This record gives sequence, C-alpha cells and structure tokens, in this order.
Amino acid sequence: MSPLDRIANVSILKQHEVDKLYKVENKPAVSSSEQLCFLVRPRIKNMRYVASLVNADKLAGRTRKYKVIFSPQKFHACEMVLEEEGVYGDVSCDEWAFSLLPLDVDLLSMELPEFFRDYFLEGDQRWINTVAQALHLLSTLYGPFPNCYGIGRCAKMSYELWRTLEEEEDGETKGRRPEIGHIFLLDRDVDFVTALCSQVVYEGLVDDTFRIKCGSVDFGPEVTSSDRSLKVLLNAEDKVFNEIRNEHFSNVFGFLSQKARNLQAQYDRRRGMDIKQMKNFVSQELKGLKQEHRLLSVHIGACESIMKKKTKQDFQELIKTEHALLEGFNIRESTSYIEEHIDRQVSPIESLRLMCLLSITENGLIPKDYRSLKTQYLQSYGPEHLLTFSNLRRAGLLTEQAPGDTLTAMESKVSKLVTDKAAGKITDAFSSLAKRSNFRAISKKLNLIPRVDGEYDLKVPRDMAYVFSGAYVPLSCRVIEQVLERRSWQGLDEVLRLLNCSELAFTDMTKEDKASSESLRLILVVFLGGCTFSEISALRFLGREKGYRFIFLTTAVTNSARLMEAMSEVKA
Amino acid sequence: MDCYTANWNPLGDSAFYRKYELYSMDWDLKEELRDCLVAAAPYGGPIALLRNPWRKEKAASVRPVLEIYSASGLPLASLLWKSGPVVSLGWSAEEELLCVQEDGGVLVYGLHGDFRRHFSMGNEVLQNRVLDARIFHTEFGSGVAILTGAHRFTLSANVSDLKLRRMPEVPGLQGAPTCWTALCQDRVAHILLAVGPDLYLLDQSACSAVTPFGLAPGVSSFLQMAVSFTYRHLALFTDTGYIWMGTASLKEKLCEFNCNIRAPPKQMVWCSRPRSKERAVVVAWERRLMVVGDAPESIQFVLDEDSYLVPELDGVRIFSRSTHEFLHEVPVASEEIFKIASMAPGALLLEAQKEYEKESQKADEYLREIQELGQLTQAVQQCIEAAGHEHRPDMQKSLLRAASFGKCFLDRFPPDSFVRMCQDLRVLNAIRDYHIGIPLTYSQYKQLTIQVLLDRLVLRRLYPLAIQICEYLRLPEVQGVSRILAHWACYKVQQKDVSDEDVARAINQKLGDTPGVSYSDIAARAYGCGRTELAIKLLEYEPRSGEQVPLLLKMKRSKLALSKAIESGDTDLVFTVLLHLKNELNRGDFFMTLRNQPMALSLYRQFCKHQELETLKDLYNQDDNHQELGSFHIRASYAAEEV
Repeated sequence: MSPLDRIANVSILKQHEVDKLYKVENKPAVSSSEQLCFLVRPRIKNMRYVASLVNADKLAGRTRKYKVIFSPQKFHACEMVLEEEGVYGDVSCDEWAFSLLPLDVDLLSMELPEFFRDYFLEGDQRWINTVAQALHLLSTLYGPFPNCYGIGRCAKMSYELWRTLEEEEDGETKGRRPEIGHIFLLDRDVDFVTALCSQVVYEGLVDDTFRIKCGSVDFGPEVTSSDRSLKVLLNAEDKVFNEIRNEHFSNVFGFLSQKARNLQAQYDRRRGMDIKQMKNFVSQELKGLKQEHRLLSVHIGACESIMKKKTKQDFQELIKTEHALLEGFNIRESTSYIEEHIDRQVSPIESLRLMCLLSITENGLIPKDYRSLKTQYLQSYGPEHLLTFSNLRRAGLLTEQAPGDTLTAMESKVSKLVTDKAAGKITDAFSSLAKRSNFRAISKKLNLIPRVDGEYDLKVPRDMAYVFSGAYVPLSCRVIEQVLERRSWQGLDEVLRLLNCSELAFTDMTKEDKASSESLRLILVVFLGGCTFSEISALRFLGREKGYRFIFLTTAVTNSARLMEAMSEVKA
Repeated sequence: MDCYTANWNPLGDSAFYRKYELYSMDWDLKEELRDCLVAAAPYGGPIALLRNPWRKEKAASVRPVLEIYSASGLPLASLLWKSGPVVSLGWSAEEELLCVQEDGGVLVYGLHGDFRRHFSMGNEVLQNRVLDARIFHTEFGSGVAILTGAHRFTLSANVSDLKLRRMPEVPGLQGAPTCWTALCQDRVAHILLAVGPDLYLLDQSACSAVTPFGLAPGVSSFLQMAVSFTYRHLALFTDTGYIWMGTASLKEKLCEFNCNIRAPPKQMVWCSRPRSKERAVVVAWERRLMVVGDAPESIQFVLDEDSYLVPELDGVRIFSRSTHEFLHEVPVASEEIFKIASMAPGALLLEAQKEYEKESQKADEYLREIQELGQLTQAVQQCIEAAGHEHRPDMQKSLLRAASFGKCFLDRFPPDSFVRMCQDLRVLNAIRDYHIGIPLTYSQYKQLTIQVLLDRLVLRRLYPLAIQICEYLRLPEVQGVSRILAHWACYKVQQKDVSDEDVARAINQKLGDTPGVSYSDIAARAYGCGRTELAIKLLEYEPRSGEQVPLLLKMKRSKLALSKAIESGDTDLVFTVLLHLKNELNRGDFFMTLRNQPMALSLYRQFCKHQELETLKDLYNQDDNHQELGSFHIRASYAAEEV
C-alpha cells in the first residue's frame, strides 16, 4: 500500500476522472490520455523517467499536457534535471506540501524511507527542511511546545530550522495554550542497536516477516489459507490487533485462543434465546462478532505462518546469539554462529545485520575478524556486496577497530585533525570516528541489560525490556525515559559523551508555565531516520506505567532489514 | 461673522461660488508666467516651470532652467535644461514630471528633479516633430497625446506601460486644428478636435464628424475646449463668444452662455464638484476671469497678474506670481449653515452654541427650536460636514464645537463620524501648512485616500510627518510606519556623502526589528547606488538568510552567499548558489570552495552521482579520496555490465 492509497484510493481517483494509474518507472506509459500527471517524490531518478517519457512522446509526435506534482516539496535540482533534459518548458510543476500521514491514533509518518540513507550515509540535509516544516505544521495546529529535548546532529539542525520558521511567522502560535507538553527529537544513529535486533513483539514481528507498508500488510495465501492474498489495515481500529500488537509473541497464541473461546461463548448465547432477543442479537451483535471472527482467523493464520517460518530458521538460536551479543559474552561463539549463518547462505540481509550488531556492540570488529567475515560474506553472497561494506563503514554500522585502538589514540587523532585547515576532512573523518558506539559502556551506565533473577515473566512485563524478551531495554527508549524523568539532560553527561553527542543534545524550556498538567502528559517523540515497532511498543508500555501518552512522529517506520537494504548497493 | 459670506458670489438661483486664498506665494520668479511652460499636478501637486526660449524665434544661447515648486511656492528643484526643445510639460498620476520634447522623446523626472527615465513616442513623431502635446489622466494611469507636424495624433493611454497608438487621419485636414483635447470614455482614450466649424472625434479605428446638440448657429470656429476632471462634461468656446456646455458625448446640452467676448480665452476649465448643484466653466483671459453657468449673469473677477488655472476634482486652483487661490462652488452643508438668514438646523445649532458661550439663554431657545423639529441629529451632521469643507482652522473649530455641543443633547449619536472628521482635519491642516504645501480639500483627500497621501509625502521626503500621521491615525505598522521607514532607508542609502558605517548604523537604529521592513530590499537599493559594502552591512541585519542570498549572488559575493545559504538550512538555496559558483569559478577553485563546505559538498556529490559522473570522479580525485574513487570505479564497472 502506498501513501496515496491511504488518502485517495483508485476508485476515488477514478471518480475524479483519472483514467489509469502507472508507476513512475523507466517504461513508456501506454495511454491515450491527453494529460499526464506525475505525483512524485523529488528524486533525480524520477525526473529522468519523466523526462524520457516526455521525450519519447515528442519523438512520436504526440502533444500532451504534463504536470509534475512534487511531494512534499520541490527541489531545485529536480527542475535542473528537467531543464537539462530539455523538457522543462513542456511540463508544469507544482508542490503538494504533504508531509504527515497519520498511520494510527498515535503514529504519524512522513513516509520518507530515503531519509535514512540520504542523511546518515550521503550526508544530504535536504530533508531537514521538510522535518522542520512538519514540526511547524504541528505547532500551528496544537500550539507551541513548551518543553523540547533532542539528541543528535540532525535533531539539532531540524530543531533550529524549525525555530527560525516559527520566528519568521510569529504571532500565530503565540498566546495559544500548548496541547503537547513535550517534544523529543532523536536521531536514528544515536541508537542503531535497537533497530538491528530481531523483533519479538507481535506488531514488530509481523513487520519483520510480512513487511507492513503504510500501516497495512499483505497476507499471502499461507496466512489466509485460501488462494487469495488479503490486505489488512493494521491499526487501533482492528480490535483484535489492538490488543495483541504490543504483546510479546509468546503471549499472543494464548491470547488468541482465549479470544476464540470467548467468541464461541458469545455465539453460543444464541441458544435459548427467544425470537425478540434473537432479532436483537442478529441486528446488533452479530455483525461485530462476525467481524471479530474474521480478524481473529487472520491473526491466527499470521501467527501460524510466523511460527512456521521461524522454526525453519532456527529462531531460538538466532535470538540467543543476539542476546549474547547484547550482553557481551561468548563473543567467539557468536562470531562462529554468524560465520555459519553466512556459509549456509541463510539470507544476505540477515547475515549483514548480525555482523553490524556484532560490530556495534563490540565497538568495531578486530581487524582479523573483520577481514575473515568480509571475505566469507563476499565469497558466499557475491563480490557485488563490496560497496555495501564501504557504505556500512561510512555510516559506522560495520567498522574495523584501528590497530592498537585506544580511546586516547583516537582522541589525539581527532585533535590533530582539528588543527588541519581542511574543515571538510574533519567532518568526514568525524562522521566515521564519531560513530564509535561505546555500546558496552552505555549499556552499563543506563542499565540496559536487566539483571535476571529467575524467569522474566513476559505476561506481566516489568520494564521496557519485555519487547526483547526481557534481555535488553531499547537504548533510545531508555534515553527518552531518563530525560523525561529529569526534565533535562542534567546528570547524563557521561552517557552523552559515550554517545558522542555531548554537543548535540539540547533542552529548551519556556519559562512561563501555561501548559496544563494534562498537556504535560502528552509527549511527541520524533524519530529522525525511522523507528521500529518495538520502540513504539516499549514507549507505549512506558506511557502506561508512568501515565504519559506518547505520540510518534517518524520519517518512516523501519526495521533491521530496511536499514540494511538502505545501505546496500545491490538492488534486490 | 456677518461678513463671512462676503466672498460668496451667487451663480443663478441655487449656487454660490467662492474664492479664497490658499497661500501667498513668495516664490522668486525670474520670468513672467506667460513666458513659461507651466504644469501643475492635480490634488494640490507641485508646479513645474520651464522658461520657454524656443517659442521666440531668437536662437537660444542661454539654457533654460526647469524649476519645480511646491503648491505653496517653496522651491523643490531647479536644474539646467540640457536636452532638446520642450513642447509640453505635465505631471503623471505618480507625480512624475513628463517633458515632451519636440522630437517626440519624453523625459521623466522625479519631484526633486532627479532624472528617472525616458521614452520615445515613435518614429513617425520623430520625423514630423511635435506640434502640441497633452498629458491626461485615465483610470489606468497617465497618458500622453501628441499632435505631430503632419497633423496626425499619436497617443499612449498609460506611460508606465507604453503602448503607442496612432490615430486615424482626419480627412481634408490642412492646417493644425484650432483646438483639441483628449477624452476618456468607456476606458478608451479618444481625441476631439475642432477644425473651423467642424468637430471630429478620433477613436482607434475611425474618424467621425460630430455636432454638439443644440449648438447655436453662426459658429465658424471653435477657439477653446475644456473637459471636466471626470471626463463627463465638455465646454466649447466659439469665435462668437458663445459657450456651449454639455456632456462629453456631445449629445446633451447642459446650458449655453454668450459672453460677447470674441478674443480667444487663455484658459478654460470646468469648475464643478461631485453632485454639483450648478456646474460652471471658468474662462480666463489676460486680466479677466469669468465663471459661467446656467444663469443669465456670470461671475466676474479681475486678474491683477498673469494667472494659471489648475482644474481640480471639486474646484479650480488659480495661482499667479503673488497668490494661490481656490475657487469652488460652496458645498451644500456650508451653504445651509452660512447662507444669510438660513434656518437650517446646522445654522441654528451654530448660533445656539455661540449664544451658549456668551452664557445667553438664547442658546436654549435655539436648541429647543431644533429639537422641536427633531432635527438635532441632522444639525450635528451638518456641522461636522461643513467643518470638513472649511479651510480656516478657526472656522473648523467653531463648527466642530457646535457639533460637539449638539451631540450632548443626543442620546445615541455614533461618535465615529465626529472623531474621524477631527482626525481628517488634523491631517489636512498639517499637510496644508505652508512648509508642506499640499492644499487638498476634504473631498480630494477622500478621493485620494490616506495611502496615496502617505506615498506623496514619502515622495516629498517628508518622512517624519508621514510617520506622525501614521501614528496619529493608528495605521497598521506594515502599511504605515514600517513602509515609510523602508522608504526612508532607501533614500538614506543614496546619501553618498555619509560613510557606510554611519548609514548602516543609522538605518538599524531607526528600523530595529520593525515588522514588515525588508533589509534585503534596502540593501538591493544600496547596491543599485553602487554601494556594495553598505549593502553587505545592511544584509547583516536581515534576519532571513534566504533573503540575503540572491542579492549576495548579484553582488558577486558568492562565497558569502554560500555560507549564508548553508546557514539558512534551505538546500535549494545552497544548490542555487552552487550552480552559480560552478559557472563563476574555475573548476579547481570551485572544488576548493566545496571542500570547505561539507554540507554543500555532499549535496553536490548527490547531484553528480545522478547527473555528472565524471565530475564526481574529479571531485574524489581532487580530495585524494582513494576509497571513494575505488568504489566509484567498482560501481561504474557494474553499471557497464548491465548495459
């Protein structure tokens, strides 16, 4: 499902005299229409497609009207390309400033998956303006945000840009009562670990297995147990889903069977009803029950399918390895598990993910391991992955420890570079250096690995660690929790240093206390570069525990596979 | 007060005309008015004089001087005329002086004698020379009509959007028409001309002969014609001393008059006002001024000196070497109140108030009289209205006092009309002051609107007064004070004798963070005057980086523009600057600049990755970025394989 489907599906478009819909790609559009309208993201590639289409028409001697609508905004570079291809005069351009798509009651997505690669790999800052615009839109709708926190370079830039926007257009939000008490901006690169872990919360698992696109999932025949696939909208309106989405997967089956029994009991009430009651039942309850029945069967089917896939993939073993990596013991064993994973050619993306997880938790691979893993990977999956490795290194996801790597050595290197005049080089060097994860130290500092005394009861979760079977509290969520508790970054200096974000964390509180206590419970969390469903579940849990209500704004919903694909140079 | 109506002259049964002095002029005229080309802008505008040396057959050895005065005779500008012979002068609606030269060139000057631009009226005009020219005002702006030596007309209805129209030929026209005028009807400009006993109307396509309805017989020539301010009425003066007055379409006659003077008048203009009771035409000869209307008797004045008439919306201004007067039909409200033995409610109220001040019980009698008729509201309104039409502040005051007195006896009289009149009069008295010299009447002021008035004050560089008026009328800042400050700043940057620092500081002190003031606009003006350094200093004050960049680029400060663009966070802006830089610098310098701006570099890399792969390679080469260079070649090899 694409964002457009969420707003205006095919039938609505047809009602408005849209003849046919095409995907913008490098193929001629066979259409007799007089007008073509391109609704595109402002990407250079798309512009080339548009240009080639227009040029093909020109060659064929056809004259049509062309309209290019850029969403969420137009970039100068795109117009440049149109101009270079010689079609700028033939098309008319427009902007559709659509930046926020509500996927659920508490989830807003900008649906910009390319944000991650563009910013964190290519260093392209063009989307920051879009983020700032989105924040501006929210603040005009819901009043100013009295308390702002943020961490990360991108978060800081977005925040500053948004502030300038506010100042330029001041007067509108002034004097309004704030409805959202806190806003928290967070860069994805602050916490790669959480995003790289296998998800075990139901919604995350569905996303990992079936890929949720725009809040909707395509269940194939293996789920629906028919020969047709089924499109299901996953959000709070789905009553069954709403109850299980945040649950650990091990609970879901039990819950679903309980639900099935309840449903049966309600159906059974029919017996012994008189005519009048029966009429009531049929007219009022039956439809709901039928609906619930249908949803239940879908989710049971999905669960079965997930179970089947996961047992085949030796899921238990995988999870165990991940937990070992997070906790930092049996590294050798984990390394050999990854080697085996590579050699068995389970999945290129999965193998890559495990390697990244190993690298980040271990602060970079030792050169021997790095080389051997890389060699094995390239031999197993093909040399075309070579570029992917270079990308991962640049993004700091998969790095090699410098020989004799100690912190002091690194720091002296940095300071040496700082004196160098070429400022550009510093940032380049910095971006690879700054990504030193220090995960182990942070984990200790923030107590991310809960002490296990006995079995962790996943039915009654104690803390946010439940989203990873009680083995790990998501770093991003922990940071948010800590900051909200303190209402500032105070006392987190050490953590910030370890996160390489000492300069990049900010707090901004307005002095006047106009915010009502109710609005102070409402927190907008902005993930720049995407967030996972596990993080959302963890924060929802935190909200229930502490009486907060979280609203999520993300550039896109992501998961480990999407992160890896974004870094990959090999097109699947 | 008995003599208040002494200068009222009845015309017919219903209307009075009065003439009063606006200013006593103490301009130091070197020449007689009759020797000069004269142009005075309507709405109390400035007066331009150019001694006309070309009229005499003598070769002009001395260059004439173009002088511009305010309506009160204060010199605004004086410059030596260095261009060709001038046929006609006129003011545009924007108060720019249009000087029509003999060769068809039109030079445009500002109020302060600053040269603005020039345009030509076409080749045909250039060849045949200009015989006569008129500047006229239409709803689109100001037009120029020209009569060429070949007796053809060329006109442009709007000089700021110049479109020349050559009018059709008049059949059988041998000599120049005895008189002609530009008419504006149904948004189209026409020419009406008189040749002997015939009148012709020229429009875009055709020339048609027209005859005024009910014209007295025996006319062998028309000597003068006059169109009213609104183009609705037309007056014709014939060689028999007969004046025909009617609508501009000539289809309807208002009245006629025979003055028995056969000499051609020097000037003839309409003197009427909106909803005039008795429209009249003012005819001026050398020493005689005659107001003629639908009445057997005309009003006559003697002119002591050379005078010049300026038609206005609601009257006629008459200026001469020593005085500047205003002649108009007495407005209804004033007439009702001041007419001898008037029993109008307003008159009674004024009387009542006077008695009240004398502490006489008669005040009550008068008041009672009005109240018995239930006309108190009307009386108050009359007094307010009449106050607006008075020129003398003491009369305004006494009328307003009467209105305020009457208001006390009314329960629910909405105060806005009173308050607004007080405000308007205060503004009007301020601008009528001798030093300002804009003698607007109340109706003219209402027609002109406060916005235009402010523009005109700004044009005269009367910034403090304009700001005071804005503040007094509590106009919104963006329309009022800050707009004027911006104009002031634009003027300030043109003062070349003040140092850049001082100007920048002075501007910033005055403007501060006033909303609606764009520093970049002011900077652009400074750059336009060739003060690049000042422009850069001013741009520093501009809070929006996005606004700074285009100007910086224009000033060729591309590197500064680049850092400002990056500061703004607008990638599009950065990209624009990059493309600019790319064209401006050589490749090596361009890459060096990029190296110092990582954000721009990555943006450009992204672009190159898709559009200019070779450039990308060069970029990596320059940076000695072997890793990326390697990746680049690998990528290239894969891409090649796919083909």
